[in-house]
Amino acid sequence: MAFKFTPRKKFCRFCADNDLPLDYKRTDILANFVTDRGKIIARRITGTCAKHQRRLTREIKKSRQMALLYYTAVHSTEVRRKTI
Amino acid sequence: MRHYETLILFSPDLNTEERQNILEEVSKQVRSDSGEDPLVDDWGMRQLAYPVRKYTRGHYVRVEYGSNGGIIPEMERKLRISEGVLKFLTVKLSDEYKAA
Repeated sequence: MAFKFTPRKKFCRFCADNDLPLDYKRTDILANFVTDRGKIIARRITGTCAKHQRRLTREIKKSRQMALLYYTAVHSTEVRRKTI
Repeated sequence: MRHYETLILFSPDLNTEERQNILEEVSKQVRSDSGEDPLVDDWGMRQLAYPVRKYTRGHYVRVEYGSNGGIIPEMERKLRISEGVLKFLTVKLSDEYKAA
């Protein structure tokens, strides 16, 4: 029988762990849900449920407003420091 | 009474005293509404994710308080005109405020 690839079942990390805060101040957690370039990762990829994804995007956007996360890597202070 | 928090980003050029003056102004507003002092959480100097007005560092201070909401437009207006405040964000944490 041919080997069949079965991807690992994804689950919503915020539903699984009630203590995991969904907060614009916690950039350490939010950083897991954005790409290196700063784009928000689709629900399809991370497995976050619809309810939490909606809140997640809102918190990420708040975080960007307060300069806790960058909008795009081009604007990132770190990238700038390396290039200049 | 609702539970609010305001995160303020100060310019790194401000000294402690200038920062305290602005925070005192905020506290005064909070006291006039709830009669209590706000909870001040100083994050200190931090690297910004992107440059703001050409500053790559900034001083974050989080202020937590209870209010009926009436003071917030006035408080934000004051923050907007005070020099050295780069950014601020007010968020409602919950609909009920329990004094700590």
